[in-house]
Amino acid sequence: MRTPPGVSPSDYSKALAAFAAVVGPEWVFTSEDDLDLYRDAFSPFMNEPEERIASGAVAPTTTEQVQEIVRIANRFKIPLYTISTGKNLGYGGSAPAYSGSVVLDLKRMNKIIEVNEANAYCVVEPGVSYFDLYNYIQEKKLKVWIDVPDPGWGSVIGNAMDRGGGYTQANYRNHFDSHCGMEVVLPSGEVLRTGMGAIPNAETWQQYKTGCGPWIDGIFSQSNYGVVTKMGFWLMPEPEAYLRGTISCMHFEDLGPLVETLNYLENVRITGGFPDLGAPLLGYGPVGQLQLFFESGTHLALPPEHMELLATVKDGRSPALEAYGRQHDIPYWQVWLSFHGPMEVIEAQWQASVRHFAKIKGSRAKVVDKTLLPINPADADKFHEPELGIPALRAFSIGARSPYNPTPSKGHMWFSPIIPRTGEAIIEANKVFSAAARELGMPLFRTFTLPACFWERAFVFILATPVTTDPATNKKYREGFKKLIAIGGEHGWGEYRTAPVFQESVMNVYSFNNHVLHRFHETLKDAIDPNGILSAGRYNIWPNHLRGKDA
Amino acid sequence: MNKFHRSITAGALWAAALSLQALPTYAEGDAHGVGNVVYSKWCAPCHAPGITHPGTNALMVKYQGVKSGVLLEWTDLTPMYVEYMVRHGISVMPQFRKTEISDVELHALAAYLARNTPQS
Repeated sequence: MRTPPGVSPSDYSKALAAFAAVVGPEWVFTSEDDLDLYRDAFSPFMNEPEERIASGAVAPTTTEQVQEIVRIANRFKIPLYTISTGKNLGYGGSAPAYSGSVVLDLKRMNKIIEVNEANAYCVVEPGVSYFDLYNYIQEKKLKVWIDVPDPGWGSVIGNAMDRGGGYTQANYRNHFDSHCGMEVVLPSGEVLRTGMGAIPNAETWQQYKTGCGPWIDGIFSQSNYGVVTKMGFWLMPEPEAYLRGTISCMHFEDLGPLVETLNYLENVRITGGFPDLGAPLLGYGPVGQLQLFFESGTHLALPPEHMELLATVKDGRSPALEAYGRQHDIPYWQVWLSFHGPMEVIEAQWQASVRHFAKIKGSRAKVVDKTLLPINPADADKFHEPELGIPALRAFSIGARSPYNPTPSKGHMWFSPIIPRTGEAIIEANKVFSAAARELGMPLFRTFTLPACFWERAFVFILATPVTTDPATNKKYREGFKKLIAIGGEHGWGEYRTAPVFQESVMNVYSFNNHVLHRFHETLKDAIDPNGILSAGRYNIWPNHLRGKDA
Repeated sequence: MNKFHRSITAGALWAAALSLQALPTYAEGDAHGVGNVVYSKWCAPCHAPGITHPGTNALMVKYQGVKSGVLLEWTDLTPMYVEYMVRHGISVMPQFRKTEISDVELHALAAYLARNTPQS
């Protein structure tokens, strides 16, 4: 039997017996086979001694059971590691940050507590996936949309807690920002409710976020200060219609004005849906089209002349390619805009957008889709489903075997730095990261890479770094990944989210004033969780007794 | 094992699954009901027919027409193979934990996916 580090076999046995008394023996896992199910399927340390593995797992169904488990963990100093659905692939999966922890698996807490149509919110438990919530809403024919990330099997709460993003309107796309109210089991075992939920018999827990006094919800995300057992989210009332169109620009220099115009239109709420950047001439598709390319491999079909010209691109620029684009009517840059709302409103929003982009000389606008909602479910796969609030697993075409990718890797780790929302920053980041990636032998930032627009005020790159079955290659990519993080930091850029194996490197970038932020996180940890039982090491927050040790 | 015995086994699994947890309803008398429900929830999003399902696309490319890319059409799946794949994963498909697909559900899924496989 595996035993958590620093825990005697006798104490561990007692703790396991106590866990079993709470959840039932079949929901406490200790065998090698069962614990292997908690390995990170995309671990860059796959089959190496440093791979972070669980010593046990315990799966409660209620908040009360979580409280009891946390109390038992305090009594025996058992390190717990909380997961929701365990599907955070590319960002750590279901494996603990501190190897040897007991995974607190909340998948069985799968109740949808409320979906309120009139006030457009829901309250869910951590084991509820986007598929579960979507199906519930469809079955009950409720006129509300959820905002989903690409893989629909993830946890609504888990994704928000790791600050993931989605694809509908701006005010729903940031999944942490769109939450309203939490129930948290503290490391002491007490239950806390945030915001208006702190009022007994609260009537507006999901309608007003902050309550009165310090608003503490943020400290529970990307951290280890509590176990969130319920969370509310604001939902979008089902829109009447959907419009999607492209703005295409023909010149390299147009990128700056394109981004500037987009920012203006988003910040005045004219363009509300997920804006998606592409560069047809550079062979780079927008996020919403990537799955189409991977499914069919059609982007391999660029003519040889075009392919050869791609080799002349430096930091996004190639006068020869630009001339080729003009000759063959292929845009240098393209932004896909999407709109949800009453038809007469979204048509007007589109027209206003077109008028603003028309300032860019030679730019062209084209409506791609215009449809009343809801769409016929049979037509959903004609769209990038998440832009219509429909969960899918189609995005896995990007990593899976496909015509484009006949010899797939074993998984991937996401390199995802935040950069400013300017054309200049896109070019500069490509210059910096592609030079570094070339030198490090990393298969990233090759010809040119565009960031994604999940958030209104910043760009984020989302790049898949392959995980292979070869430890030497994985080592090279891990080390390269860490160097890219550090190089980003030197330029003032940091990751928005990362897997446990990179959390120390990423948090080291956030070092203003001698790492005062990190020291503050640890001060909080000591006060809230003196025994250090919850998710040790998550986002590099270690309990006192583990500081300075290797994970 | 003959067909009669297989349906008895599947029926027993079905009853066992119902006693352990509430599952969505399905056609009565369908011995593979539980397996079908588990398949629909956990497998279909990647393995239903069509290249918009990455598992199906992957198998089409892997087998190049030698056999279908659609798991439900395979006639050589054994329950043991299905159970191994679900608990170990393959390529970018991760393994599934018992809190996602319980052992009882997995047996039902395996029996369902192996339903077309001739018994020796």
